Amino acid sequence: MATYVEIASVTVGSGGSAYVEFTSIPNTYTDLLVKFSARSARTNDAGGSDGKLEFNGVTTGYSSRMLLQQGGAYSGTSSTLFYFVNSNNSTSNTFGNMEVYIPNYAGSGYKSVSIDAVDENNASSAYGVLTAGLWSNTAAITSLRLTDNNGGYMQYTTAYLYGIKKD
Amino acid sequence: MIGNQIAGFFSVGTPPAPASNYESIASYTLSGGETSVTFSSIPSTYKHLQVRWSVLNSNANADLGFRLNSDSGNNYTFHGLEGTGSAVSGSNKGTSLSEAYIGIGSGVSSTPGVGVIDLLDYTSTNKYKTFRSLFGYDSNGGGYIILRSSLWLNTSAVNAVSVRVTPGTFSANSSFALYGITGA
Amino acid sequence: MAVTYEAIATQTLGSTASSVTFSSIPQTYTDVVYSIMTPTSAGTNTTIQFNGDSTTIYSHTQLYGDGSSANSLRGTDQSASLAGVSNGTASIRGNIMNYSNSTTYKTYLARGGAGGGTYLDAVVGLWRNTAAITSITFLASWPVGTVLTIYGIKAA
Repeated sequence: MATYVEIASVTVGSGGSAYVEFTSIPNTYTDLLVKFSARSARTNDAGGSDGKLEFNGVTTGYSSRMLLQQGGAYSGTSSTLFYFVNSNNSTSNTFGNMEVYIPNYAGSGYKSVSIDAVDENNASSAYGVLTAGLWSNTAAITSLRLTDNNGGYMQYTTAYLYGIKKD
Repeated sequence: MIGNQIAGFFSVGTPPAPASNYESIASYTLSGGETSVTFSSIPSTYKHLQVRWSVLNSNANADLGFRLNSDSGNNYTFHGLEGTGSAVSGSNKGTSLSEAYIGIGSGVSSTPGVGVIDLLDYTSTNKYKTFRSLFGYDSNGGGYIILRSSLWLNTSAVNAVSVRVTPGTFSANSSFALYGITGA
Repeated sequence: MAVTYEAIATQTLGSTASSVTFSSIPQTYTDVVYSIMTPTSAGTNTTIQFNGDSTTIYSHTQLYGDGSSANSLRGTDQSASLAGVSNGTASIRGNIMNYSNSTTYKTYLARGGAGGGTYLDAVVGLWRNTAAITSITFLASWPVGTVLTIYGIKAA
């Protein structure tokens, strides 16, 4: 099997969507990689909109530690798997650029998650975050959902899921 | 088609192994003295681009400025999170710039600056183009590690990527490689 | 079509280890990418050496967060350089750029962190040796179940 293979993709249509989701993820790869280009419907923070990543429809057992660029340099924690995308009052036509990496997603241990996410803006406010996440659950990941916390994702938001195979 | 050829070697109903979605488009290794390099005629058949670079250069802490489609107008921004080895900063770095400053050269002999740049949905005509880049160098007493984003305020599909070093020149054995990632 | 992104080798630890080595790395790629998953803590820092070299010609610049503040530090003249933090169930990834050239020192980028641990980081590291990299050693208190994989990326 090839090493770097697309599994599925999603494009948000004209009505927008509260979240973007991949289901029925095969267990035949070693790691998962998500590439996410998103714009939120949020209109009260031009710097960005926060979101959360969840697995298998489960809403508990998540924790994150982050390095943030949010007008200055910060570090924080969260009880979700945390990221930023562009808000709808940021510069028009601008979508965030994010990558998620989940090693050993089908294994029997807890799941670690790495997220690198930036959004851009032709102004002073734009956010970036490096996230180290944990899902304290031993289930194999069969679905993943990216949910905006502030109103949902706009049309043209895209997500691509790739499988990485180690042998 | 390759897929049909592979299927012919197996019993009926066995699907062909999926092909890799990560492909090399072009690369350059420089001889030295150049001030820029350009990937042109980029195919529109991929979904995302990745540039991987390793640079030697003449001047300390020189900026690498990226431009898309040869646009040298004031149509770029960048924001960043930077570690200098003793301090951290994160702030607005610039708007209305003539290029995206998402790379750095050390200017130290034999000491490459390196980076990986990701550009998603580069052919979309509904989006301005957002770069995400992790880059830096260490020179055993100096250096930077930087996460930086940049925006090209243009919805055109990207067909060219150029990199310019300022000030100074690239040195021999600097290398740039462009990769395409396909998707449905 | 030539393969661009290819798994080179992987090791899954059945017992604890203080070092894991990938040797006889083919010289046919442009960059090497490493990916490490630790099921539990491997200690705070993981480090890296090349070609079995433990002389003090490694250095690094790190950006890290501890959940309350962002920090940056530097290490000079080290016997190994940082490869990504791991003090919990962690994902660590690195890009060793232009590894097979015999003209320049070797620079790599790394990202590490454990969501349930204390730290996450981004690192740039340097090995002040122009030799082509033929082996990579990862050092930490590797727990059972750690999976380490190296991939090759080949430019056109």
